[in-house]
Amino acid sequence: MQLSRPLQVVGHLVLLIICLSILAPMLIVVSTAIKLPNEVYALSLWPDVPTLQNFAHLFEQTAFGRYTWNTAGTTALRVAGQLALGVLAAYAFARFTFRFRDAIFALVIGAMMIPQVLTMLPNYILMAQLGWFDTWWALVVPNLATPIAIFLLRQHMMSFPSELIDAAQMDGAGHWTTLWRVIVPNLGPALSALTIIIFIDSWNEYFWPLLVTESENSRTIQIGLREFLQDDQDDYGALMAGIIFASVPAIAVFLFFQRRVMDTFVSSGLKG
Amino acid sequence: MLSPSTGATPNAVAPARRDGWLVSRLGADSALVPWLYLAPTLILLALFTYWPLLQTAYLSLVDWNMNPSQPTQFVGADNYGRVFGSTLFQTALLNTVIYIGASIPLKVLLPIPVAVFLWSLGTRGHFYRAILFLPTLISFVVVGVAFLWILNPIFGYAKQFFALAGYRLPNLLADPDAAIWVIIGISTWKVLGFNMLIYLAGLASINREYIEAMRMDGAGDLTIFRRLIWPLLTPTLMFVMISTIIFTMQQVFTPIDLMTEGGPSNSTTNLFYMIYQYSFVTFDVGGGAAGTMMLFALLMILALLQIRLFDRRAHYKQ
Repeated sequence: MQLSRPLQVVGHLVLLIICLSILAPMLIVVSTAIKLPNEVYALSLWPDVPTLQNFAHLFEQTAFGRYTWNTAGTTALRVAGQLALGVLAAYAFARFTFRFRDAIFALVIGAMMIPQVLTMLPNYILMAQLGWFDTWWALVVPNLATPIAIFLLRQHMMSFPSELIDAAQMDGAGHWTTLWRVIVPNLGPALSALTIIIFIDSWNEYFWPLLVTESENSRTIQIGLREFLQDDQDDYGALMAGIIFASVPAIAVFLFFQRRVMDTFVSSGLKG
Repeated sequence: MLSPSTGATPNAVAPARRDGWLVSRLGADSALVPWLYLAPTLILLALFTYWPLLQTAYLSLVDWNMNPSQPTQFVGADNYGRVFGSTLFQTALLNTVIYIGASIPLKVLLPIPVAVFLWSLGTRGHFYRAILFLPTLISFVVVGVAFLWILNPIFGYAKQFFALAGYRLPNLLADPDAAIWVIIGISTWKVLGFNMLIYLAGLASINREYIEAMRMDGAGDLTIFRRLIWPLLTPTLMFVMISTIIFTMQQVFTPIDLMTEGGPSNSTTNLFYMIYQYSFVTFDVGGGAAGTMMLFALLMILALLQIRLFDRRAHYKQ
């Protein structure tokens, strides 16, 4: 579509302003992170003596290494677990007819409508009773059932050519073999899209870890940032280094798989 | 791998089905099989979503301070009356309305014209798109910390920048009238680009030939927008509207907790944060649970509204 000239100028102008207001805070963060303490409060965006000292300081001052391990470890377990359980449940919904199937499916999808805040009190008490408080268990297990994954994988499995499945079963493959040897290897795009969503979601999670983590045993990067903010309000250089460090993995994934990441988020309607 | 079929003996005895031992003991066609595949998910959802919801309903009727040695006392509907009558609830409800009211023009309507322009650029707009998407990837904690630094009342960039222009920027986060707008501004920063991309996805399904046809008939940009793009974009608009309302109620928890903790004098607290305050700041379990149930009712109404709107969308398509 070809817009008239004045509209084009206005459009580019508005977009440029929006993009600048998105980039400006990021620039400020990066510039503060590479400044020495004596320059942190200066207005200039490029320091006289750029330094990586703030990053070193961050890891000395806090248990950030340990937080990173907790975040990476629980995220990896969640991605694997959520995908595995999602594949199993989606297969049941896509390939079987059984009593109450539609009702159960509605219950599974309905769980998407129930935000964590609504169930936090009993879950918090349950974690304490199980002795899971401040452990990886509390971060991983309650999050393993993923309605959105079940929904998307079911869609893909239903559109999977049934000739292939029939052929496999004619060759003697049971459900288990068919699922893992025939269907899953062909779900590549859907699985990688879900991996990206779950990875970013888990890496950036705030609310639940805030409730159930207390020490270095299980505290994640996001919660570590909060503690750091409250303990050392004035060490802005190291704080900015911390938030850059926390953002790098998601941005790296984006740079590698630009198109796919954007399409995935947009088509699932998930707001990061 | 699967055994390759040896074309020579197509009707040979079918090889034994290779299933897990459990399934082979039950028989591959047993009605129980799908339930085995579903079991982990259903157990987890029951344990961590649906049962807690019922438990919350029960907790909303008792008086308890979360201390296991302290007895729970049944008080009936008292908690509901107490929470409903509290100034905290009324402020939180009012703030929630302000958050949502401000979000609709900023996050739902503003992106439309920009998205239409971006769409008219075609593939040349890819650079813009990548930038617009960036805030979606960054956690709200990171955004909150970054803006706390930028808005620092003494050394922050905003302060110094305004000082250069000869204007004294007040401490916005300490001002009960301004703080909520800071949070609204930040959540707009986070979600604006994302909503734009959703609109772009909606626009992508519009056949450009219609536009060429209208153009040949002498229609101007405005007419094309009003008569063609707007009606075709309505379902996307509805989706963006509902998801933004839910986002605005739920996700602003993080900047509220990091930047203001609901203050100054409860001016930034919303219903989600209020429940957190009841439950984990004052350890008033009954009050927190009663607030949760009220919020649950509100969310259910929203969900029903969403279903009705999507129904209409389905009719529209036919």
